[in-house]
Amino acid sequence: MIHMASGDWLNIVGWSESLTSWSMDNVHDILPSNDIDMQVTIPSTWAWPEPITMGPIFNLQQGFASIQPALESFMHATIMCTVVFTVMMLTMLAIPYIERKFIGRLMDRLGATTTMRSLWVGESGVTAGEWWKQLPFGMGIPIGWVVNLLNSYWGNSHELETVSRVNNRSYHGYWFLLPGFFQAFADFMKFATKEHIVPKNADKVVFETAPVIILATTIMVFAFVPFGPHIYAANPELSLLFMMAIFGVAPLGVFFAGWASNNKYTLIGGMRSAAQLTAYEIPLLITVLGVAVLSGSFNIIEIVDFQMGQNEGNVWNIFLLPLGAALFLITMIAEVERIPFDMPEAEAELVEGWWTEYGGIRWGLMFAAEYMRSYAACILFALFFLGGWEAPFQHTLAGLPIVGGTFETVFTVVPGLVWVLIKAWLLFAVFVWIRASLHRVRTDQILEFGWRYLLPLSVVNLVVATILRLEVWTGEPWDLWVPVALTLAALVLFVILAIDEDEEALEVQRRPYSTQAVVKASPGSHRD
Amino acid sequence: MAEMWISMGPQHPMTHGLWTLKVKVDGETVVDTEPDLGYIHRGVEKICEARDFTQITTYCDRLCYASANTWSHSYIYAAEDLLEVEVPERAEYIRLMAIEIQRIASHLMWLGAYGPDIGNLSVMVWCLREREMMMDLLQELGGSRMHYNFPRVGGVKRDLPHGFAQRARAKLKLFLNRIQEYEALFDESTVFLVRSQGVGYAKPEEMVNHGVTGPNLRAGGVNYDIRWAHPYSVYSELDWEPPVERSSIKGADCYDRYRVRVEEMRVSASLALQALDKMPGGADTHHEPGDPMILAKAPARAPEGTTGAHHFEDSRGESMFYIAGGGESRGKQPYRVSIRSPIFITIPFAAKCMIGYKVADIPAIMGSFDPCIGETDR
Repeated sequence: MIHMASGDWLNIVGWSESLTSWSMDNVHDILPSNDIDMQVTIPSTWAWPEPITMGPIFNLQQGFASIQPALESFMHATIMCTVVFTVMMLTMLAIPYIERKFIGRLMDRLGATTTMRSLWVGESGVTAGEWWKQLPFGMGIPIGWVVNLLNSYWGNSHELETVSRVNNRSYHGYWFLLPGFFQAFADFMKFATKEHIVPKNADKVVFETAPVIILATTIMVFAFVPFGPHIYAANPELSLLFMMAIFGVAPLGVFFAGWASNNKYTLIGGMRSAAQLTAYEIPLLITVLGVAVLSGSFNIIEIVDFQMGQNEGNVWNIFLLPLGAALFLITMIAEVERIPFDMPEAEAELVEGWWTEYGGIRWGLMFAAEYMRSYAACILFALFFLGGWEAPFQHTLAGLPIVGGTFETVFTVVPGLVWVLIKAWLLFAVFVWIRASLHRVRTDQILEFGWRYLLPLSVVNLVVATILRLEVWTGEPWDLWVPVALTLAALVLFVILAIDEDEEALEVQRRPYSTQAVVKASPGSHRD
Repeated sequence: MAEMWISMGPQHPMTHGLWTLKVKVDGETVVDTEPDLGYIHRGVEKICEARDFTQITTYCDRLCYASANTWSHSYIYAAEDLLEVEVPERAEYIRLMAIEIQRIASHLMWLGAYGPDIGNLSVMVWCLREREMMMDLLQELGGSRMHYNFPRVGGVKRDLPHGFAQRARAKLKLFLNRIQEYEALFDESTVFLVRSQGVGYAKPEEMVNHGVTGPNLRAGGVNYDIRWAHPYSVYSELDWEPPVERSSIKGADCYDRYRVRVEEMRVSASLALQALDKMPGGADTHHEPGDPMILAKAPARAPEGTTGAHHFEDSRGESMFYIAGGGESRGKQPYRVSIRSPIFITIPFAAKCMIGYKVADIPAIMGSFDPCIGETDR
């Protein structure tokens, strides 16, 4: 049995601790070990007949030893903050890349369909056929030769390449250069070099403060998000509560930004953000509370440990709390203000909502903060419900008869960080998928949705988690029927609820919503 | 929150063109609206008085950038009424097919713009991709990408090119498959249904009183389609029926207007396919430009006192041209050209429709009426 939490070789926290304590010990050692006589004696005068002796004898090594723990933890925290920030920023570059590429694929769907060229290949069995055969006197035969030749060499048989060329996509490059990846850098350069404009009637102090609030709180979220068992900046006992509290501060900055810009669009956007906050924040917290209850801890690392099953359960929370996972996904999309819950920045009616008046690097940083929040949401989902840094079906695969050893080697070699990132990126692809296929709801609709559906469901989730923790869980690994039964029940419910079509309408017509004439008319019947 | 006026436009994502909608809001609720039109008034009617009958077609193309072909045809029918020209039947079939393909392209442009109005960008890309097929077809006919200048007084500029019929059939059939995908993205999405159903009610009798026509009116259950009620061209020869939505007692909502346009795209595709099949002389033959099969001789001058008018079912409603001939003193030019724009009449009504709904419904309602400002300001 592998215990990756303790066995992960990428032990950055440990390295940092040993490095700081080693360097601090060195500092301690190079300090002079002899006592330094700092005694000062003031000779006697008429005012004090005896000479006064001030100051003790002190030892530099002893003095350093008293502040060494504080210095060590400060240096350790500095190193870990730098490491986590670097990891976060480097891996977050994948997020806009996924957004750009995946939504491009979704929107293009099958790719080359826009031109006549693609019709040579056809789709759904429909092709334009060999039109050159219709030219008189066999004039088209050479055209047919040329076309066939071209098609056989550069036709859509090389599907990816041709599809890219037809769609004017820069896909035909070297794949290892990740075409489009460095667009994020170019965007940043553009934002950084733009002029900073503050509206004349804006409340300038608040206008300048709002981006700082949004960005600072967003980055602070990552202080409590572990990227791996040994990669985190801070790990307090109640890290879950701490993190959720900071996660909820940014909408306040959004409201500040909307109000301070002194613009009607931004004002409405800020108001919407505040209204939206009341709809999703409470269900989100109750859902997370369910996870905490099930895992018996408010500490994120312990929540992951609970799913990994060193000596407790060994099932991912998504199989135990499928409802909680769905609720967390929905409320997190609302929290990070992505479609379908992006009313504060609804570009159709509010131009760009609360950030209409921002430009340049402030806009760029707030946009980066938006993606950071999405990224944090994805990582949190991976940590709370997808087993964090545990490889999928790790124990099962490692226990296989022949290939088990290979799998075990792989799981030992691959650090937990990789699994967290893969899970988070895949989850972000789900976010993009949702964005590409859904419309935007209205503010009153998300309020209704939040209070009428999400809140009761999150309480149900909490009850399920409590029952599981108190009645079913015994401290042993879960019996297999518990996760299987819960997951199956959730899937069945989902399928039943997803089929909401009106069956009577289906029987009468081909589609549920068919257009029909009220009165069958005949040609010319309206002629007077 | 106190009531305030918000000026949406002239540059605003909601407007779909260059106009201003002033909205008075109480918090998120719309209390009053006031449309402000006329930003791109070019004086097309006046320009037409200084052009001969063939030159005017070019200006009519530019009345609507999304539906150029229907507008030039709308003018041509009025001009033929004025000059009393018998159009060859083959030319009528070619025209009908071109008009219906343009109607599909226009509705696709509308659907593509309606997606971002309520927050879905994929629809836009998908629709523009299919619109590209239609524009390729029209480009083969007219030679240009947007402003085709295709009809002539007495016929059409060119016959169908070689292989056009085959390509058109393939693309239209492909398009009929693709419509089901839009329906999957719209009709089967609960988010779209809650955004469009029960929003922007327009009562049919009020629409009739305001003069609203076209798909917007048919969404309210009024079976009034000029192609059907007063058949011109060869519409009466083909097997079709105008799509009319069975709306609720409150009137037509955004969803009804969406449904009618999607159905109309189906009908238009079927009309174009039928026209290809029934074309006299066959769709695979090709006549030289000016051949009597596709272009009849037309007089260049209209006698004084004669008038010509024609109702035409444009992509957005009933467009109408009224032309007064000028006699010898005006030479080859008309005395007066008057244009009825359906959207010019619809916009004030649509603006009143959104009172009482939320700010987020403004683009949803306005977009569902399919505004086009080129023809509105003309």
